[in-house]
Amino acid sequence: MIPFNFIRPASLAEALDFLAENGERTEIIAGGTDLLVELRGIPAGKKGPKWVVDISGLPELKGIREEGEEIIVGSGSTHWEVHTSELIRETAPLLAAASATVGAAQHRNIATIGGNIMNASPAADTVPALIALEASAVLRSREGERVRPLSGIFVKPYQTDAAPGEILTAVRFRRLPAEAKSAFVKLGRRNALAISRMNAAVVLFLRDGVISEARIAPGSATPMPERFAAAEKILIGQKPSEELFRAAGAAVAAEMVDRSGRRWSTPYKEPVIAALTARALREALAG
Amino acid sequence: MKKIKLDITVNGVKHSLKVDPNLRLLDLLREELDLTGTKEGCGIGECGACTVILDGKAVNSCLILAGQCAGREIVTIEGLSDGEKLHPLQQAFLDHGAVQCGFCTPGMILSAAALLHANPAPTEDEIRVAISGNLCRCTGYTQIVEAVQAAAGKDKGDWWLQI
Repeated sequence: MIPFNFIRPASLAEALDFLAENGERTEIIAGGTDLLVELRGIPAGKKGPKWVVDISGLPELKGIREEGEEIIVGSGSTHWEVHTSELIRETAPLLAAASATVGAAQHRNIATIGGNIMNASPAADTVPALIALEASAVLRSREGERVRPLSGIFVKPYQTDAAPGEILTAVRFRRLPAEAKSAFVKLGRRNALAISRMNAAVVLFLRDGVISEARIAPGSATPMPERFAAAEKILIGQKPSEELFRAAGAAVAAEMVDRSGRRWSTPYKEPVIAALTARALREALAG
Repeated sequence: MKKIKLDITVNGVKHSLKVDPNLRLLDLLREELDLTGTKEGCGIGECGACTVILDGKAVNSCLILAGQCAGREIVTIEGLSDGEKLHPLQQAFLDHGAVQCGFCTPGMILSAAALLHANPAPTEDEIRVAISGNLCRCTGYTQIVEAVQAAAGKDKGDWWLQI
């Protein structure tokens, strides 16, 4: 392991003060399940971070709570805490499902939702679910706080627009009403402990048997996670049917190729994302 | 690289140490405390051989810095038996042929122990999910699942369950 210094601030304010001065040469560690793999991969003699700052124990980043219609998930919440939270299961079941599929128990017990977001992997499991929930990211620095749509913070794979002095403190979203239908489905190399080859998060609202609103957020389909508006449009105003869901899946595949281009993996990914989208819509409808 | 001060409890014993800031929990256990029952397999969180129990939950000790464990409680495979008397899970692994080469065994048993700690009567599915982060290339898992089923409910009252 390359050398670095380690500090463990006692409070969020202390962590932000440290980052304000040293953010450029610092890596933030929460669960560490991505960062330690990355640090281990840096060859001896190559330069790594000067500092690693541990935010995993900060009480300000913990907890899952509701404020009116909004659900606020502290960035330090572990995937275990997210997927076992009664509040999340009730108000955002697709997020509970996404957190339940991250890694194995050993990862879910320490890896955090904030880390999953800020690592900015295109294959992150919770990010498509959060985007389908229209979540916002709460970023704090010593100077203050900014709240941005989560889908807007990703710059490129493995990079967000967070400044070196900023920490993601929470994600927030409006609770799904009880009648909303949602699902998260994932395909990995095996059922457990697998990084998503592809995944899909969907939310449907129905009025009088007709789809009134649709949100489709595929994962590992584009460099940055985002919603697929053309496929969503196909669903709106229609009665749910197998045919319609397959058409939406085909539209997602076409939109993916439009945005990501044709690459070596495209012949595999096209039918997979079409099938996953249709499966997610089917599962959402079945509740 | 400035050494850091670390107070940590391992298998019920308190330690006050000064360690390198880039030390992993796995290295702390094996190199500083001579607890070599914890194994390093892949070193990237894929195999589960380095699984230990941290504050009651199974974690990969290769993916945690020692400094992150300040003030916390760790249980390793050495902490399960009572002297020469094996923990019911360890005995069940022997009785059911769940140990072959043995390299995955400490991590496998600690994942199972963490499961039984939270859920004393797990279903077969729950057992399979709990050990899904532990790779075994010898047994085919059937004997391991049988061993965990046999041990379920037998470990109440062990000291490590009190943490």
